[in-house]
Amino acid sequence: MAINYKLLDLLRRGRTPHENHLIDGLVRGAVSRREFLRYGSVLGLSAPVLGGLSGALGFGLSTATARAGTPGGTIRYGQIVPAAAIDPVKIADGGGITVLSQVGETLVLSAPDLSAQPLLAESWSPNADGTVWTFKLRKGVKFHNGKGMTADDVVATFDRLSDPANGSNALSVFTGMLSKGGTKKVDDLTVAFHLDAANGNFPYAVSTDNYNSVIIPAEFPANYEATMIGTGPFKLEKYTAKVGASFVRNTDYWGTPALPDRVEATFYDDYQPQILALQGGEIDVIQQIPVLQAAGLLSDPGFTIIATPSSAHEQVHMRNDADPFKDKRVRQAIALCLDRPKLAQGLMRGKAQLGNDSPFMPAYPSTDKTVAQRALDLAKAKQLMAAAGMKDGFKTTLTTEKYLEIPDYAVLIQNAVKEIGGDIKLNIMDQGAYYGDAVPGKSPWLDSDMGITDYGHRGVPNVFLQAPLLSTGTWNSAHFNNAEYDTLAKGYIAALDLEAQKATAGKIQTLLLDQTPVLFSYFYDFLTVTKAGAAGVVPTAMGHLMLGQASL
Amino acid sequence: MFKRLALAALTLWLLSVLIFAGGHLLPGNVGRAMLGPFADPKAVEVLNHQMGMDRPVLVQYADWISGFLTGDLGQSYAYRSPVAPFLGVALQNSAKLASVAFVLVVPLGIFGGVAAALYRGRAADRILSVVGLSATVVPEFVSGIVLILIFGVWLRWFPISATWKRDAGVFDQLYHLILPSIPLVLILFGYIARMARAGMIEALEADYTRTAVLKGLPYSKVIWRHVLRNALLPTISVIATQTVYLIGGLVVIEILFHYQGIGSLIYTAAKKKDFPMLQAGVMAIGALFALTTLLADLLYARLNPRIRFGGRE
Repeated sequence: MAINYKLLDLLRRGRTPHENHLIDGLVRGAVSRREFLRYGSVLGLSAPVLGGLSGALGFGLSTATARAGTPGGTIRYGQIVPAAAIDPVKIADGGGITVLSQVGETLVLSAPDLSAQPLLAESWSPNADGTVWTFKLRKGVKFHNGKGMTADDVVATFDRLSDPANGSNALSVFTGMLSKGGTKKVDDLTVAFHLDAANGNFPYAVSTDNYNSVIIPAEFPANYEATMIGTGPFKLEKYTAKVGASFVRNTDYWGTPALPDRVEATFYDDYQPQILALQGGEIDVIQQIPVLQAAGLLSDPGFTIIATPSSAHEQVHMRNDADPFKDKRVRQAIALCLDRPKLAQGLMRGKAQLGNDSPFMPAYPSTDKTVAQRALDLAKAKQLMAAAGMKDGFKTTLTTEKYLEIPDYAVLIQNAVKEIGGDIKLNIMDQGAYYGDAVPGKSPWLDSDMGITDYGHRGVPNVFLQAPLLSTGTWNSAHFNNAEYDTLAKGYIAALDLEAQKATAGKIQTLLLDQTPVLFSYFYDFLTVTKAGAAGVVPTAMGHLMLGQASL
Repeated sequence: MFKRLALAALTLWLLSVLIFAGGHLLPGNVGRAMLGPFADPKAVEVLNHQMGMDRPVLVQYADWISGFLTGDLGQSYAYRSPVAPFLGVALQNSAKLASVAFVLVVPLGIFGGVAAALYRGRAADRILSVVGLSATVVPEFVSGIVLILIFGVWLRWFPISATWKRDAGVFDQLYHLILPSIPLVLILFGYIARMARAGMIEALEADYTRTAVLKGLPYSKVIWRHVLRNALLPTISVIATQTVYLIGGLVVIEILFHYQGIGSLIYTAAKKKDFPMLQAGVMAIGALFALTTLLADLLYARLNPRIRFGGRE
């Protein structure tokens, strides 16, 4: 690899210490090119700088040229009906996210490859300790009502989302991170976020990952659903609750104008009717479909499956503070009974990445891939059971929800642990009953000895590292209480550079493999289906469906 | 008559108490159901307060039922807009689908049953009985999918989605409703035909029929005047109870054919704990049930002199 030091020096000028540290990592080989591009984007290095740097180091930055589609026409897509009124502050369901993604945009895009890309913000950078992040806004962005977007709108949006009096769904991201008043206008096109605690991944909290954070005018419309004012490539034409919606091209859009003239959304209560509608030619795209339902389409040449890697997964928790799982050797033994590649193949038709009993899935750049993957090992599992004094096995109840493949997964776990004398009774309940009131004492999810819970996609592992695993975590159904872990997790979240994150991630991965409070055996892909020949359809694993550059 | 109406009102009131209590006393809370298990507790609390869910249950009931009696069906929790328009559209759609199915199945069923009874024991009877019975036991989600695959996906004769475009005319709407009404016809045909057949056979064997034949009336007149009128009485009660099923019980068909009827309205409202919507939907079905039972009784009385005059004794 030929390093062009002259060019490198030129490009290093004016970079912050964090950015230069990342460049050092790339030069030394501690950071791979892919990780460099992704993490550089989080720190706010612009695409030309990233390209120049990797070019100076002898890496060619392949600019993916999107196939230019034919403009015009209507794209018709199917999606699950939104669970509630379309209100950016309160939206909490996939159906609502998809609708909102037609009209609204966030400051940052968490791209399908998990990199942070500029959207309404042109660039961003942290201060030295990661407690203040400054965002430069894009010039010339107009809302659908013709008004220009300024820092005031951005400040109002985030104050609205971080105000506990608003019933905002974004509080689950912002609590302990960003409080009301923490978002400050610097000038008309610059905003500074003063955080409650240092955070190395803050751009993701204002990205599509935090879907509530679409930028809305400061004067928030009382009935948002009627206008759906945003900055996106499409404007609302008509919305009929429970039925569908139509959108038309926004001629004032700041970016490349949308290819389709119109987008038509049809809402469905279930997946089967969407498959039939796609097969019958009534729709062109199914926004998302679980792999079990899509089985019939996977090998059909008439359709294209877009598989987006996601961090969505099922957590199998074991009560660390109660028998029979008090002894970590029992938990390790159970983990060793699982044949993960087979689970991913059988339950997910192979559309999944293997898990290694921590939230660090392989696709996260901060994941330490040198930590060995846990594999099926019955002999060792039996040894561990004997060492724990449980040679005769154990009895317990696995409580879980009737959702997607979870009941099948539960049965597979039940069968797998029979090998080590495990006698698991299954208690599979309705989703609402399983989560209950979501507070300890009133929720089988948080109270059961063993259980399986579904977690949706996140672009960074921060949420997975905190709520379900911190000793103070609000979703800690494993009742995991480990001071060393707590320190490591907090260190990871505050870490500003990738190398530090990776080092801490390695320690967390090793600790969680040893303690095994929760089993993570696979992370499943997010599947979108289009009819063959469709191009430019961009889904995110969060539920957005971007059709601006789509063509049939 | 007055007694009947009073009884219907009492039934509806009991239903209102049951549905309200069922919704509010079961575990789980509305704000949580709407924001999901992972939402911040503070956000859930604020939302519950905004919707008045933190008031005593009796106050909530009184508030709801008094609004209901004055025609205010309340606000949907999920859609944050009045329930009435949703319910109106759903009832209208359900009534349309039910009418198409009804118009197809009632004459077919009665005709099939009468024909089977007249040719009792012969091939026609056997075929009608076996086909009718087999069709009844095929669940609608099976027949529905088969129909969609054949006529929607493969032949493309009919639209797969029963929801028509805005401003569609009557014929276009009818065209959309044919496919979803066939599974209903299949299910109800056997039922109605069997009732009609049994009634016919009973009437054919009755003394008055023999008298009519023996006194020399033409056979067609005997059937038309004496047999049918008596034979169809039980069939009418069956049809009346099935009308409510046709309007309110079509969750599967509505979801499969992507149709916004009252069945799927109640189903999704129950799933999301959208109580005002759920309560209004259930009350509408309850009222409909009371109404059709009343109408069937009246019709029955109209056709059966024993009841018509018996009540005055």
